[in-house]
Amino acid sequence: MASFLLKRLVGLALTLVAASFLVFSVTEFSPGNVARKTLGPYALQEQVDLLYKRLHLDDPLLVRYARWLGVLVGAIDDPLQDPVLKLNFEDPRGKRYFGNFGYSTLFKSPVNDVLWDRVEHTALLAGIAFALIVPLSLLAGILAGMREGSRLDRAISFLGIVFTSIPEFASGVFLTAIFVVGLAWLPGTSPMERGAGWSLAAQLVLPVTVLVLYDSGYVARMVRGSMAEVMNKPYVRTAILKGLPRREVIIRHAVRNAMIAPFTVILLQINFLISGVVVTEMVFAYPGFGRMLLEASLFGDISLIEAATLIALIVAMTTQLLSDLGYMLLNPQIRLA
Amino acid sequence: MSEEKRNPNVELVKSQFVEGKMDRREFLRLATLMGLSASAAYAFAGKVTGEGFIAPARAQGAMPKGGVLRIGSRIKDIKSPHTYSWGAWDSNISRQVCEYLTLTDEKNVTHPYLLEKWDASPDLKTWTLHIRRKVKWRDGKPLTADEVIWNLKQCLDPAVGSSVIGLMKGYLLEEYDTGQKDEKGNAKKSTRLWDANAIQKVDDFTVRLNCKAPQVAVPEHLFHYPLAILHPDDKGVFQAGAMGTGAFELTGYELGKKAVLKARKGYWGDGPHLDGIEFSDMGDDPSAAISAMASKQVHGLVGADPVQYDALKALKGVEMYQVATAETAVLRVKVSEKPFNDPRVRKALRLAVDSKKIVEVALRGLGLPGEHHHVAQAQPDYAKLKPMPRDVAAAKKLLAEAGLPNGFDTEIFVPKDPPWNGAESQAAIEQWKEAGIRVKLSIMPGQEYWDVWTKVPFGCTIWYHRPLGVMLLGLAYRTGVPWNETGFSNAEFDKVLGEAEGTLDVEKRKRLMARLEEIMQEDGPIVQPLWRNNFTFYDRKVKGFTMHPTNYIFGNRLALEA
Repeated sequence: MASFLLKRLVGLALTLVAASFLVFSVTEFSPGNVARKTLGPYALQEQVDLLYKRLHLDDPLLVRYARWLGVLVGAIDDPLQDPVLKLNFEDPRGKRYFGNFGYSTLFKSPVNDVLWDRVEHTALLAGIAFALIVPLSLLAGILAGMREGSRLDRAISFLGIVFTSIPEFASGVFLTAIFVVGLAWLPGTSPMERGAGWSLAAQLVLPVTVLVLYDSGYVARMVRGSMAEVMNKPYVRTAILKGLPRREVIIRHAVRNAMIAPFTVILLQINFLISGVVVTEMVFAYPGFGRMLLEASLFGDISLIEAATLIALIVAMTTQLLSDLGYMLLNPQIRLA
Repeated sequence: MSEEKRNPNVELVKSQFVEGKMDRREFLRLATLMGLSASAAYAFAGKVTGEGFIAPARAQGAMPKGGVLRIGSRIKDIKSPHTYSWGAWDSNISRQVCEYLTLTDEKNVTHPYLLEKWDASPDLKTWTLHIRRKVKWRDGKPLTADEVIWNLKQCLDPAVGSSVIGLMKGYLLEEYDTGQKDEKGNAKKSTRLWDANAIQKVDDFTVRLNCKAPQVAVPEHLFHYPLAILHPDDKGVFQAGAMGTGAFELTGYELGKKAVLKARKGYWGDGPHLDGIEFSDMGDDPSAAISAMASKQVHGLVGADPVQYDALKALKGVEMYQVATAETAVLRVKVSEKPFNDPRVRKALRLAVDSKKIVEVALRGLGLPGEHHHVAQAQPDYAKLKPMPRDVAAAKKLLAEAGLPNGFDTEIFVPKDPPWNGAESQAAIEQWKEAGIRVKLSIMPGQEYWDVWTKVPFGCTIWYHRPLGVMLLGLAYRTGVPWNETGFSNAEFDKVLGEAEGTLDVEKRKRLMARLEEIMQEDGPIVQPLWRNNFTFYDRKVKGFTMHPTNYIFGNRLALEA
């Protein structure tokens, strides 16, 4: 077990380095000049050229990547904080410390000031959505899969397909039209600020609903498929034929086995809920991680993109690890090398 | 004898107005620029036209007190007001704290603001600025000439990088050789005050601008949004707690999220009536602002886009405000690139579009047709020319003369934001087809476009409102200026533009303006089918709001009904 974990952690570290370099290289090919973006559209070309030079943006890619890595581990100063640049960039933590993601040229603040607040917001949104998606979709999936072909199964499957097929931007607009414009029950945006007469809880209702509708339909269908398959297994038939109560057959024999396949799918939803909720966050002006990552990418804010990518990767790989461990717990026969 | 009577220009303007050589709007603008107070100018205009005395209504007396006004906006970087480049997004936050020497209102009339008044010499080269003595910083100290001079010099320092340089270069600065060479070995040039005494302190409350060339529009330039009067102790940085003369104090700010302003006690001017103002970031999705208005999370928006118009109009309890502006997006070509180097091709592009239809399609009718010369009906120096209607046959003939009898293929680059830029370009593309001009539409992210806006052969560039046509023409089409994105160069145009900028005689200037507009229509590098009306929506509970052509918000005038 220990060697398994160690191997995974080394793999995680190597993947992070490789991914951060790839992201660095990809942004190299994205159009636009960071110096221009920092100074704004109407800055004169000579001002832009000057900043471009001072930021050493004309250095080779590997040199710039090494510099970024050096700043991250606290080995060198963040070049953007150099007072000569007159950008007024200042990090209260200092110019050199471990975990220094650098300075965001989009938000004109240290990445660490911008990032964690947004991660917290998205974690809150994702956490609530996940806490609803899992029991809802499990219940619906098990109920449907228990009696394949029944009316209940058909109804749940139909609704699942409908909800999964409606894109988030569309369900966001539908729900807003009904509950914000029509009934005036809920706020239309979720800036997560008190002051406009709407509680934070009220601001979370619509974005959470959009995510739950979109995601639980999909997960419920996965659970249903697996459950239906298990219900047709010989051991379930045997259990029923030997006279075990149906309730006990389902709870003790079917559900546990039916959970193995959807387990990974459910854990993968965490990745989606952290980094894939861009649309929901845009529609409700929610100050979250996904919206920040989109804005940073459009702007070419390399420090912020790198930091966000590393976080998304850590989340993805952690959920993968958890899913592997979960497999081992659910089915001890599976031995992962 | 009063100052205004001593200035013969005031008498010249008055007599031209009485003789019917200029309209009321232009009289008000010029008379106030020459130092006549706004109330005196309005009273004189009332006497001449027989209309009642209608000074801009500021019914402050009955304003409700208290409340926090919440406004939907984009929260951009606001740290360096002297180098702002967004206008409405950034300066609307700082202008509640750091005010301006003058104020150009929604009718294009410029008033003294932190100034009590100004005097212009008859040759329009010497401008004396008298600071209002009752203006106080938040710490209770008076605003003095030293602080005003510090701000002017800061904005004119090339190292700061303020766009004020572009406006004042012609009369307060000179170019000089720095003695250094650039990478290509060319001499590096920079700018400095043309004379050590160009900005002169007369006494603690009087500043004099000694200009090298006549300039009519100095008070208008003093309202250019980067020229906010900051306290020198803040070293050009605006942030929470920054000192200002305004009615509010910035107490909280988070880029991309919100800005919080609190009313302060002891404001020198009228108001404030509110307890505070909060600006919230609405993001890029236009539906978010609509939802926020629908659920009353914000009372109003800094500005609205035509794509939001129908939904916002359908909301209950909101009022629409709009104003005609000189904001436009020009479909501009680079005159050095083939086939646009031929003036006949450029004119054919203009002749092949129907401006009225483009206004309908791109702006939902919320605007006016353009006349392809970048001087707006909303600007007082506009000269009316004969209409230039769509004439596809004439366009085809010009193309044939230019050696393109079968038309040509090309590509136009258009920024994604604001959305009406794409709609305008798409509408023009459909109309060009009929003349054989086949244009491919390439939409690119706004940030990306601003990286290449002076380089693309064919592009769509937004130009915001300026109070004067000559300001736009000088910024965008004078030979060799930094923002001349098209590379347009026409010696006659430059000469006439220089004359127009320093001419007060209305008849003469109208003739000069008409000539400039004709040159633009015949030889110019743009197709300019529309002028956009700026519009927005506010909750009916908000009192005292008027729509400014540049979306400026004056928080001290606003109030909120309970």
